[in-house]
Amino acid sequence: MEFKEVVGRRRSIRFFDPDKPVEREKIQTILETARLASCAVNAHWLRAIVVQRDELPKEKLKQLKTPVAALTLDLAPVHIYFFCDLGTVNRIKGSRLKEQVDVGAMAPTHGWSHKFVDEFVYPQLLEPMTKNREGYLAVAMPDCGGAAHMALLAAFDEGLGACLNTPNPALTTKVFGVPQDWVSLWVMLVGYPSESWEAGGQRPRPPFEELYFEGEYGRPFRRDPAVVERLKAAKMIQDPAPLSGRREEIRRLAEQYGLPE
Amino acid sequence: MGKSIAAFASVESWRRALAEQWGEEPADFERRLELLERFCAFAGRDPDAMIAECTREVESGKRIRIKARRLYSEKIAEFQESAGGDARARARAGNIIRSFFIHNGIFMQAGLSQ
Repeated sequence: MEFKEVVGRRRSIRFFDPDKPVEREKIQTILETARLASCAVNAHWLRAIVVQRDELPKEKLKQLKTPVAALTLDLAPVHIYFFCDLGTVNRIKGSRLKEQVDVGAMAPTHGWSHKFVDEFVYPQLLEPMTKNREGYLAVAMPDCGGAAHMALLAAFDEGLGACLNTPNPALTTKVFGVPQDWVSLWVMLVGYPSESWEAGGQRPRPPFEELYFEGEYGRPFRRDPAVVERLKAAKMIQDPAPLSGRREEIRRLAEQYGLPE
Repeated sequence: MGKSIAAFASVESWRRALAEQWGEEPADFERRLELLERFCAFAGRDPDAMIAECTREVESGKRIRIKARRLYSEKIAEFQESAGGDARARARAGNIIRSFFIHNGIFMQAGLSQ
């Protein structure tokens, strides 16, 4: 699938076929995609624990359910729990940044050297940053989010459906026994959709001009209708929700899985 | 309860919300009312009292009382087990009661029953 179409087809899927397993290679592809995400100082804070729902002891699955994600946890055959490993910066001490210098990704043309990393970046910026948890999280979390969202797109590119949910952090860290400096982020539920891939249409978004500006705050970035048409042709911008027949589809799914209306 | 089940404000809200959600009032609404009435007898509360019990007013607005919601979730599960019929019919009975809570703003999910 072309990139723009993958972006266009992604939407939070909440009805999965609970009995259709996800191929292992597709899960690996999702993880491989996350690994290639952009990340500040090449730290790569994102960690993931892949759980096959049916291999998880029932008691643990019950513990992991939150009021808003109990049903989707039952429906999705694969759960990928994402964490932010805050210990990584003080373990690698700038070594991955120096790797970037070695391979020419960061060069003297832009001021980079091993000496700069060893004498300035790690001891004066990164190490002190790790002592201020709030500030550190503000740096690490956006990169984790970026990687997780690349993983999300990969799931759709593989013909799967997926949805990010926020688990109970205290319970996930306990259930999976992760190190103390791992922060629980999201669970990505993965499976084959049992709703149509359109899932009722592309979800409502705020107006473009309300979100993006040009040059200064208050001057909306002008949205060119010709570009919009091109993106529609590329299937990135798709028919908005609700598509006709969505109510009937939800009713059919409610009947199929015995859910309230 | 002293008055008709349909006369309770929460029941009227439920009826209206179902019609808005699905574009028509359910054909079997009378049957749903009968089930809700049975559940009310089972729980020993009227419909408005159950919804009121699940919420509380704070300065910033309405909050859901987690313990009350859990209590009613469990009561619905018990009611469902005693509802009669096969598993599917019992699940449907439980879901009708859940629907009453959901459309009155009390978030609730059913387990997966296939």
